[in-house]
Amino acid sequence: MQRSVAIIGVAAKPCGKMMEKPDAPVQVLEHEVLAECVIDAVNDAGIDKSAIGSMVFSHPRVYTRQMYFATFMAHYLRLPADGIVMEVLGNGMTGGLAFDQAVDQVASGRADVALALGTSFEMGADTAAHLNNTMRATGDVDFQTSCGFTPIAWYAMDAVRYMHEFGATRAEIASVAVKNRRHAALNPLAQFRKPITLEEVLAQRMIVEPLGLYEVPPRSDGAACIVVASEDVAREIGRPYVRIRGRGFHHEGAHQISEVPNDMTAFEPATRAARVAYAQAGVTAADMDFAEVYAPCTIVEVCVSEACGLVERGRGAAAAASGETSLGGRIPICTSGGLQSRGHPPYVTPLYNILEVVEQLRHRAGERQVKDARLGMAICELGNYNAALMHVMEAVA
Amino acid sequence: MTLPILERPGQRAYPPRRSALTGHFWDQLAAGRFVTTECAACSRMTFPPKSFCPHCWSREVRWRDVPTGGTIYTQTVVHIAPAIFAHEAPYRLCIFDLDAGIRIATRLVDADSDVMPGTRGELVALRYADGPMFGVRPVRG
Repeated sequence: MQRSVAIIGVAAKPCGKMMEKPDAPVQVLEHEVLAECVIDAVNDAGIDKSAIGSMVFSHPRVYTRQMYFATFMAHYLRLPADGIVMEVLGNGMTGGLAFDQAVDQVASGRADVALALGTSFEMGADTAAHLNNTMRATGDVDFQTSCGFTPIAWYAMDAVRYMHEFGATRAEIASVAVKNRRHAALNPLAQFRKPITLEEVLAQRMIVEPLGLYEVPPRSDGAACIVVASEDVAREIGRPYVRIRGRGFHHEGAHQISEVPNDMTAFEPATRAARVAYAQAGVTAADMDFAEVYAPCTIVEVCVSEACGLVERGRGAAAAASGETSLGGRIPICTSGGLQSRGHPPYVTPLYNILEVVEQLRHRAGERQVKDARLGMAICELGNYNAALMHVMEAVA
Repeated sequence: MTLPILERPGQRAYPPRRSALTGHFWDQLAAGRFVTTECAACSRMTFPPKSFCPHCWSREVRWRDVPTGGTIYTQTVVHIAPAIFAHEAPYRLCIFDLDAGIRIATRLVDADSDVMPGTRGELVALRYADGPMFGVRPVRG
């Protein structure tokens, strides 16, 4: 049995620093913050807590002291459940997997209402030490990481290859960061809201060439909760909601790079996930009113916007530079401000992306509202888009 | 098919682990040879070496030398490095397509900023005090 699934409530904390250093006298605790999000999201949905049948958590980061976080939260919220209580983990896709599993709980009939939720707290750890940990998440720890690869080094190599193949300029790619900051200025959940110029982006110190400080994601803490429900429940409540119309997933069976040479910047898994999601929804890329893509670096937004068919192959950077992907443009991308400016608490970033789609489709995005938004999508990934998970969503007023 | 062995100061920053299987690779590398496994059933090579063929899942694999030439597919320079590698930063990394049909990701050495995708390169062994690593260097002319 597969039932139609709706998103009926969302809540999140602004991205940025929440976690204190270990020696601070007053700590900000993950479960206290997440409980606030849950209550906000459930109030937004207009349901009673007793309706919740399942909770799917993104696994907390390694810095979270409370282990078995999901079952601890079931206690903290006093929330018995008949569907499932579990944590999922899948690198950058973690939050997306939590959402996907929560949707499955409802679609399969195991729960009428399910929560996808989690925290990603890491700001208590300094960057160089943190990288000792995250470098183990991408590539082969013995045969690649041992040379000094970092997660974003792979994206930097995408940028070098992309410029070589398509003649895109560094400035065109960097314009993605300017556009995303302009969007973030209008988003109260965004970590960085002060507008920046292209000159400023290009003048930043190098992190991984050719990407400077403003073209890579900041470090962020975050917490978010999404409430999904059967469409019957959504209709009964009588508030505007979002219907999930299509879903696609593909893992290419490669971790970071394929040992058999392929076109690395084509992001083939995104293309395949998108094809399935659009087909299930009965739409095409051209029908999207906006898109919220998981793109840690500027170049990633360029490549994934092409892979999903939003922009022609090889034109992604030029499209960003010309304003095509800005609010008011042909296909606004990352109206939240994207990972560079909205912020990137990795294990919950896909939940923030879903939240942005829901706010747009319920026409609650304020100054950054995409006019008459009816159809939108969110896509997330792991590795170097070695796997992609996409959802197409529709406004139901 | 021996590799140039370049001397490197100090110890490896993040030494790879050895298994009963991969130990052979690292020992050969220390001796200036780059080897991997090839499938006896479908003839395809794989890297890193495995006890089976990832393409056809046959367990009939044999060791073989890998020709060291190839083309640099892309590259970067890491400026902000993990604490473990901070003393080596900035350092250059690349993705390298071996003529033998295998793509690897590794350190790019003896290179400067004019190393563009498409530049020819060769595998080298890097000899540290505690053991070997491998890398790629551009081939000039």
